[in-house]
Amino acid sequence: MKNATKFIYEPGEHESEKASNSYLMSLIALIAGLPLPIINLIATLIFYLGNRKGTFFVRWHCTQALLSQLSMLFINSFGFWWTVSIIFTDDTISDKYIAYMIAALIFNLAEFIATIYTAIQTRKGIHVEWWFYGNLTNLICKA
Amino acid sequence: MKKIIIQGVTIIALFISIWFTLTQINWLTIFKVQKITDNTEQKIGELFWEIFQKTEKENTNPFVVASVDSIVTKICSSNNIDRELIKIHILDKDDINAFALPNGYLIVYSGLILNSDNQEEMIGVVCHEIAHIQLNHVMKKLLKEVGLSVLISMTTGNGSSENIRETAKMLSSSAFDRNLEKEADIKAVDYLVKAKINPEPFANFLYKISEMENDATKYLTWISNHPESKERAEYIIEYSKGKKIKYESILAIGTWDKMKEKLRE
Repeated sequence: MKNATKFIYEPGEHESEKASNSYLMSLIALIAGLPLPIINLIATLIFYLGNRKGTFFVRWHCTQALLSQLSMLFINSFGFWWTVSIIFTDDTISDKYIAYMIAALIFNLAEFIATIYTAIQTRKGIHVEWWFYGNLTNLICKA
Repeated sequence: MKKIIIQGVTIIALFISIWFTLTQINWLTIFKVQKITDNTEQKIGELFWEIFQKTEKENTNPFVVASVDSIVTKICSSNNIDRELIKIHILDKDDINAFALPNGYLIVYSGLILNSDNQEEMIGVVCHEIAHIQLNHVMKKLLKEVGLSVLISMTTGNGSSENIRETAKMLSSSAFDRNLEKEADIKAVDYLVKAKINPEPFANFLYKISEMENDATKYLTWISNHPESKERAEYIIEYSKGKKIKYESILAIGTWDKMKEKLRE
């Protein structure tokens, strides 16, 4: 799902650190705001807005981190509100619900691992493009 | 651009197919969800029944109990309902009321029996309450009104006794929502027809009571918490039309009258 490709220029030490931080930001926020799926998105968004005017390498990775968080938001929000409706309304736990939560967990775990891997690689100055998200970022983020 | 769309759709399709595949597994059995739910229902039912047992007087007259029991047994056997599931109790109270509690408890006030002109009227109301039990309306309502967390805390002994009492009273004095009431009415007619009991008196009972609504409504609990009695009577009549069956009575006329006499004692 991930490709380490050459970036158009060699990022400097400071850039690598900032780009890596954009992934770390989402990880920390994920742990802090686990029950509420919106918190990690907000944290990544704040980091993105703060680095909007940064160098291309930093901007590119902030965008990729933000996009990946955005898609997880849909999956997690749906699961979150489904759980709320089970606790507070007459909705009951079903096979469908448990299956959804497991599928959401698999996707979150995959995203979590990919984020850690990318944070490490970008810190080393290695450019990592995710499958789908990398292409999408290329489309949005111009040099 | 096309490549990105294809990749995006692939991710969505991947998620849906994982979800769909996982749905094929019977998770509820694996996690014993049903067992936990059943245990919760059983405990709550017992807790609520204990409250009514302490605060109201139960009628244990063998003749009354046997008569009501034979009615419930007939309804259950004609409709493939597990008789063991329905735990019927008669309380000596003037209110015209009957209600279902979790775990199959069915409470009938003597006022309901005494104000029924014939056995079919009372059986109609009993069938309506059995329908609520069979359609799992009681637990649905509890989950909606008080939530799962409060219900679980009640069963684990952490709920306040005041809270338990109020919830139990709420079940006895408030209706389900309109759709659930209609569903129970229709199901009750099915039960009646299968047991070869004329559903018309059940509708008449609603008509009769709706007329009484203008008078003192003090004792009309079952009706005051079941609104639109006239409308209900109409759709019951409409639904039972065309069911050409030779209707029978469960109790002999003499038995029905004697039961009322015993209740008045």
